[in-house]
Amino acid sequence: MTERFTGHGPEWRDAGLSAGEARIATAWVEQKVDRRSMLTGKERVEDVRDAMWQLEKDGEIVVHRITDQHAPVVVKTLYGWDKRIPTQRLWHHKSCGQCGNIPGYPTSLLWLMNRLGVEYLDETDQTSCTAWNYHGSGIGNLESLAAVFLRNFHQAYVAARAQGLPDGHYYPLVHCGTSFGNYKEVRGYLLHSAKLRERVRQILGKLGRLVDGKLLIPEEVVHYSEWLHVMREPIAGLREIDCGNVRATIHPACHVYKMVPEDAIYDDDILGGNRLAVSTGLMQSLGAQVVDYSTWYDCCGFGFRHIISEREFTRSFAIDRKVRVAVEEARADVMIGHDTGCITTLDKNQWIGKAADKAYEIPIMADCQFAALVCGAHPYKIVQLHWHASPVETLMERLGIDWQRAKAEFVAYLDEVKAGRQENLYDPRRRLTSGPGFIPIAVRQ
Amino acid sequence: MSRAEATRVQDHIGDPVSPAPPVPRAQLEEIFRDIQSDLRYDHELNGCLNCGICTATCPAAHYYDFSPREIVQLLWTENLEGIYDAMQEKIWACAQCYTCAARCPFGNSPGGLVMLMRETAIKHQMESAKNVLRPFGRVMLKLVSTGNQLAPDMITRDHFPDWGPNISKVDAPLKLLRQAIPMPTLNTTATAWEVNLKTSVELYTIWEETGVLAQLEGIDQNLFDVIVDFMDEKREEWNEFLEDQAQGDSDD
Repeated sequence: MTERFTGHGPEWRDAGLSAGEARIATAWVEQKVDRRSMLTGKERVEDVRDAMWQLEKDGEIVVHRITDQHAPVVVKTLYGWDKRIPTQRLWHHKSCGQCGNIPGYPTSLLWLMNRLGVEYLDETDQTSCTAWNYHGSGIGNLESLAAVFLRNFHQAYVAARAQGLPDGHYYPLVHCGTSFGNYKEVRGYLLHSAKLRERVRQILGKLGRLVDGKLLIPEEVVHYSEWLHVMREPIAGLREIDCGNVRATIHPACHVYKMVPEDAIYDDDILGGNRLAVSTGLMQSLGAQVVDYSTWYDCCGFGFRHIISEREFTRSFAIDRKVRVAVEEARADVMIGHDTGCITTLDKNQWIGKAADKAYEIPIMADCQFAALVCGAHPYKIVQLHWHASPVETLMERLGIDWQRAKAEFVAYLDEVKAGRQENLYDPRRRLTSGPGFIPIAVRQ
Repeated sequence: MSRAEATRVQDHIGDPVSPAPPVPRAQLEEIFRDIQSDLRYDHELNGCLNCGICTATCPAAHYYDFSPREIVQLLWTENLEGIYDAMQEKIWACAQCYTCAARCPFGNSPGGLVMLMRETAIKHQMESAKNVLRPFGRVMLKLVSTGNQLAPDMITRDHFPDWGPNISKVDAPLKLLRQAIPMPTLNTTATAWEVNLKTSVELYTIWEETGVLAQLEGIDQNLFDVIVDFMDEKREEWNEFLEDQAQGDSDD
């Protein structure tokens, strides 16, 4: 069936091009898209970190620095700028959608960190970034987004006090793609607007969230997929299952690389530098076949508001532009993502396709879940694949994992959980750093 | 002009040849001023050649009568009637993916401009905003009161029947399945993770100080009342904790 584009008003008419003419007409666009159309006008793009260092020099802000204790690895972003990715002493800034709906997403990440001996803190003193709600509803504003951002990041800065450790010990690692994009956008506005800084400084002052009376700004806003990217070789070293027969498509998340494009990681050795490097680099290091597809650039259809209250759009876009293409064109065994909303949208909106004779099915999971799986993590106890609606079982079969046995083990394990004998990835007492139930470190010892 | 021939714009701002009063010019100007006065406006709008690459790449344009190019043009040309009209429905079609922003040769962000228009629609308590946000109430209640947008107990087959039978592929109570997640912060059902009481109380201050509660009150008075009650309870809980702490310290 021919796709119809109805968004251009009633005056729109089909140009009636032949197939050959259409190819010529779109070749230029494809060429530009494939060769990073975002390079257009790069000379006009400012590196906001220059403004950040200047403000620190002027005594206006304090920068939460990535230091040697965080063992940073340097990568290149879109314009070849350096970005330092901390690999140690990380403060997990969780995603409400992941934790609420795809819990195997953060558990897989923490499991990988345990295997690699990475020190981290997963604590309760944090809110969502609130940007999902903002982008969906318009409730919220630049000031509220900025105040939430700086409050959460200030907590990351001081969290180690609960363990008797100095400020700045942990560096925040953002799990959600929307949080990542939103925080970077807001950081840019904070660095450019003295008025916004002053307004937010007053609010943070009331909360006791200033450092020496100043706003604390992070040197870098770092996404978990960037950590995975710089750790891809050590992670590949843990691999227990051969995934060379797996054809994987990647869905790059809009808020990860379109919102603040200049900060996204690109690598000339990964798909010629024509695609975002994260996730693809990891999958290649793990030995999977990464398969390109024509709609790689499209969003998933999440829409923020649409996923909740206008799902006809969400599911139509997800099926027509992503799932169907991954199945029919790429013949993929799995689609890998690196953001909350995308995984939810693509995973949950396949079953309904049957209602419109579009019964396309493909397993959907996050990059860290796939990595944990092939590194030997339990598919249900750790990777928590029972929360996925898509046919993840077919991927496990391709990987030679006996998922039925694993599932039976998990069901039996639930009896242990019921008896209060659940296994955790870290000491549960560490989750509290203040407030009711918190035991100060001195007493704890 | 007969009603049947009226265009969308006339529906919303009045028929210029009809005696019925149009939306007053002063109101249209005030709405535009509110959009334009946001400090992001000049960053998001730099010019427009009508090239349409934003619309060509826009997911919402596939399915709705929505075009980011049109949004940019309306603002760029200061077409106040058109802006008002777009705020009645079109701006809510945008999926907020920012593909348009990544593509625009001028460095515009049509998606960002849509957000300024949505905020303004809420500020002016437009009926369109109220209608569109009504199904969002449950999510907003959760977010504003707990700091989490989404909670496990919101993902049910009743709420998401189109997601099919596999909301969970293991048949066990939600509480038990959540306890079986090996991250202790996630052993919750009413919030995505366990939120520290202090965190919630700090968030309430942010909502108040930044005018978010006032936004909510204008859009949904009932929701606002529920949220305020919830906030009062949590604050009381926090104050009791502080008093207990102070008592404990003085006993020492």
